[in-house]
Amino acid sequence: MQGMLFDVLIWVMAIVFVIVEFVLVYAAIKFRHKPGNPLPKQTHGNTTLEVAWTIIPTILILGLGVWSVQVLWDMEKPPVGSDPLEIVATGHQWWFEFNYPDAANGKSITTANELKIPVGRPVSLSLESDDVIHSFWVPKLAGKQDMVPTRENPLWFMADEEGYYYGQCAEYCGTQHAQMKFAVKAVSEEEYIKWVEGYGESPSLSTEAQLGQQLFAGKGQCITCHSSAGPDSEALVQARVNGFLSGSAIAPGPNLTDLATRDKFAAGIYDRNSENLKDWITNPDELKSGNYMSKLAQIYQTEDGNANLTESEVEALVEYLQSLK
Amino acid sequence: MAQITEAAHHEEEQNCTGIDNRKLLFWVFLSTDCLFFGALISTYMVYRGQSLVGPYPIDILDIPLTTISTFVLLCSSFAMVMALSATQKDDIKGIRIWLAATAIMGMVFIGFQIFEFWEFAHHGLLISTNLFGTTFFTLTGFHGAHVSLGIVWLWVLFILSFRGKVTSARALDVEICGLYWHFVDIVWIVIFTLIYLVGGFDAGPVITG
Amino acid sequence: MATIATKQSEGNTFSVIWSWITTVDHKRIGILYFVTAFIMFLVAGIEAGIMRMQLATPGGNLVSPDVYNQMFTMHGTTMVFFAIMPLNAAFFNYIIPLAIGARDVAFPRLNAFSYWTFLASVLFMNFGFIVGSVPDGGWFAYAPLSEQPYSSNQGMEFWSIGLMLAAVSSAVAGLNFVVTIVNLRAPGMTLMRMPVSVWMFFVVQILLAFAIPVIAVGLIELTMDRLFGTLFFVTSAGGDPVLWQHLFWIFGHPEVYILILPPMGIISDVLPAFAKKPLFGYPFIVFSGIAIGLMGWAVWSHHMFTVGLGPIAVSVFTITTMLIAVPTGVKIFNWIGTLWGGSIEYKSAMLFAVGFIAMFIIGGLSGVSHAVAPSDYQQQDTYYIIAHLHYVLFGGAILGIFSGIYFWFPKVTGKLLSEKLGKLHFWITFVGLNLTFFPMHYLGMNGMPRRIYTYATEFGWDNLNALSSFGYIVLFVSMLIFVYNIIKSYKSGEEAGHDPWDAPGLEWTITSPPPVYNFSELPVVEGRDPYWIVKRRAVAEGKEIPGPQPLVDPSTVHLPDPSYWPIFTSVALLILAIGFMIEIPVWFVKYPISVVGGLLVFVGVLAWSNEPPTKEKDH
Repeated sequence: MQGMLFDVLIWVMAIVFVIVEFVLVYAAIKFRHKPGNPLPKQTHGNTTLEVAWTIIPTILILGLGVWSVQVLWDMEKPPVGSDPLEIVATGHQWWFEFNYPDAANGKSITTANELKIPVGRPVSLSLESDDVIHSFWVPKLAGKQDMVPTRENPLWFMADEEGYYYGQCAEYCGTQHAQMKFAVKAVSEEEYIKWVEGYGESPSLSTEAQLGQQLFAGKGQCITCHSSAGPDSEALVQARVNGFLSGSAIAPGPNLTDLATRDKFAAGIYDRNSENLKDWITNPDELKSGNYMSKLAQIYQTEDGNANLTESEVEALVEYLQSLK
Repeated sequence: MAQITEAAHHEEEQNCTGIDNRKLLFWVFLSTDCLFFGALISTYMVYRGQSLVGPYPIDILDIPLTTISTFVLLCSSFAMVMALSATQKDDIKGIRIWLAATAIMGMVFIGFQIFEFWEFAHHGLLISTNLFGTTFFTLTGFHGAHVSLGIVWLWVLFILSFRGKVTSARALDVEICGLYWHFVDIVWIVIFTLIYLVGGFDAGPVITG
Repeated sequence: MATIATKQSEGNTFSVIWSWITTVDHKRIGILYFVTAFIMFLVAGIEAGIMRMQLATPGGNLVSPDVYNQMFTMHGTTMVFFAIMPLNAAFFNYIIPLAIGARDVAFPRLNAFSYWTFLASVLFMNFGFIVGSVPDGGWFAYAPLSEQPYSSNQGMEFWSIGLMLAAVSSAVAGLNFVVTIVNLRAPGMTLMRMPVSVWMFFVVQILLAFAIPVIAVGLIELTMDRLFGTLFFVTSAGGDPVLWQHLFWIFGHPEVYILILPPMGIISDVLPAFAKKPLFGYPFIVFSGIAIGLMGWAVWSHHMFTVGLGPIAVSVFTITTMLIAVPTGVKIFNWIGTLWGGSIEYKSAMLFAVGFIAMFIIGGLSGVSHAVAPSDYQQQDTYYIIAHLHYVLFGGAILGIFSGIYFWFPKVTGKLLSEKLGKLHFWITFVGLNLTFFPMHYLGMNGMPRRIYTYATEFGWDNLNALSSFGYIVLFVSMLIFVYNIIKSYKSGEEAGHDPWDAPGLEWTITSPPPVYNFSELPVVEGRDPYWIVKRRAVAEGKEIPGPQPLVDPSTVHLPDPSYWPIFTSVALLILAIGFMIEIPVWFVKYPISVVGGLLVFVGVLAWSNEPPTKEKDH
């Protein structure tokens, strides 16, 4: 329905464009002054013509307008009886938080920046924000809606085919608005369930990863802003937000519980491989300048902004993160 | 080539409508001021009942007291009318009495407002306390600023009356001040009705569905 | 002949400068607006250049993200408030009194005050560059991003307070011109005999008068949040960011008509002059201008389609926005009707006027697609919108303004601009603007959001961005040609005479440049296109075509005297503004310098009202 409206709109615009520009250019050329031309007829207007070209466009416009309104209402809500998957998407500077109150079989999930959904089932989002206005836009799946603090804006869409659909924040939200990306990963029902069931199950950790886990909660203090062992409660995130607003060295950070299932990190901008993760942990500001991790986390308050960690400690952390499935 | 000549004659100042330029300017200005207050009032109305913490209007507004100050302001508009009338009749004593009366009543109104603001601050309502405080102080504050400018204007006219500058020939000066004063009065009636009479019984956040 | 008119500029340097500082002559004020605005246009163009060079390649890092964000904020703000609005104001000032047969505006000192306050706002906001606190909230400064703690330096105060100064300037000028147009028209010039340019200027003054108070309130609320701890847009206290958007766009949408109606008016004067026939359907064009002015108040939330207003509101604004395409279309058809059957001479002014129509058709059509809300859900906040706005503002407003410059430059300076350079300027601009902005339609539809300091190559946006950036270079060259033409023609251009175009308006009945008093005898107007009536009658009767009004001794004309109170008051206002940037807690006063500024404003206003507009003369 939407598609047909777009197509008709484009065709109408193209036709009007061609006709009007043609008439303009024709008149502009045909009625050029040639030396010796007498004064042209001093026509003041033609009321019939003017009324016609007022009324006809009005009818055309109203027709398109009414149709647009119909399409608008049609796309308001997911199809009746379709059992949409409900997700809360919260915008933060500069990453996307996704909460599934009931991903499957009553299990709740908090993840970030990669929205995994089952193919062929409508997804019903509630868009929110904890700081400034952001906007949720997956061009190939739906139009955008803004994530406005104090509001819960609804948006729904459905992926007909499996795929990795790029998304981006579409409302200027500060320094790194350009690097606030995300993706919708539409997978088969089986794969989706597999991901849900694997979420938060204690991963099997190598020795190095265990060291990383200790650093995560210990020296690195990552746990202040990032959870890695399950979903975040609303209260927890709110506490982090309040801490940030009152000037403490804390801010809401992406939930990392299933980081190793995501294709990218740092809000859809870097491929998730060990080398990138290592660069990121060593000095996030070099990869995404102005981000709050570098600004606030104690571990980065050094002269050059490099983490106050040894190289092997960083590698241990990376090993830990790469085990989070 | 063109001969330099005297200008033909001292033309009448061109005026298509017959309305003095300054009067017309002032009416247009008043309509813009309507929108200014309209936007401030809209902000107040949008935020009615949205304060998350108290004090709330019902806790703190003293409607009887403000009714008195409103009455004083209304009376001052009457005094203003008398001042204009005196100007048109060149009644210099009347001019001074009524201009002073208008200004003094305006000052009484402002006095009541200052007292009110002081009391509210003592009861814990500041401009940064909650949305009620923010919108109340901003709206009434800007109105009070308008009244204060009007009071200054009245006193200036009062002083000028001692220099023979307030005469029937220049009654427009007083008329325009009068327009301003009545405008400010009417705005107050709207503000008083909305904040005190309509919104004065608000208590706590409005629960919406 | 030129001596009387330029007597003002004789004397030593100081007295010349002083005469400009204290001028209340609408023509000088128009020139002041033009020069300042054009410089700011070039400044905003450099800001655009920095962005285009950064975006020419993926992963560009010419400037840091923060600087890039400052660039798009300042580019937008400067172009709207410090370039296009005051360029329009230059025309209001110079042309309105001449076109209606008046000696000056209704309140010449208030007019000067408007200019100096405008200059103050330019200097104030751009001062942020010097102290490293540049506004970076985007030109519409959405809350809460524009609030503390998200915008923590003083940049957004330079923005909001600077704009308040600009608002005062424009609002006051709006009032002045309303009274001027209503009251000061020459005998015989009824409203329906005014040139369409004056009609459009008139509608715009009324729009200004009503729209500016709304943004003023928004700016005050934002500034109070930042400086005094109020809670207007503080979400943790229940403040609603969408309220800011409503206040901004209730102003912002009429604002775009404030930007475009004057250039539409300008080309409505230019087209008949060079087509050698009257404007086709004068009443329809006037009424559609009025309709646009009125309907423009009912469409503002189309800027907010994605904010979550709900389908009812979105539906209503879809319909109202689509309907406003109708009067716009009527104008376009009527302009084409003016060309039809004419005998068109393609001087530069005419090229730009026809170019305006061609480009505005594109901008208008993309606007219609925005009005369709489901379509806007994809287009909003993308380069498609940037394409639309630049087609209507560059392809529209700027081309229209250039048309006006080429049309009236001879009147202002007495010299003709080079036609050769003018045509070159036009064609290079035309190519440049299409190269720069047409690709943006595709970029937007291919998913490129706006206000991003960089993009990744994997999205396939590289080539079109490179093309667009190349287009910028072409535009840059076109500007150089224009500036060169202006300077060269001003110094050594051909003498223009009083009526180089055989045009219909009253301004062509006097010398070029006009004498300080404009008309030695106030004209009596017999109909629309008054000078054509007089000239054609002379030809029909075999008489000599009447030339410019003969000059008279200016001291015999009743003119307002120069005054320094307008600039004094503007400076006082500037001090008041600066005071809010410097916190010095003294007793219960946080900003004592502002208090001083306020008192100085009071002094200025008092002295000004006490000063008679003209000293009594014996004649």
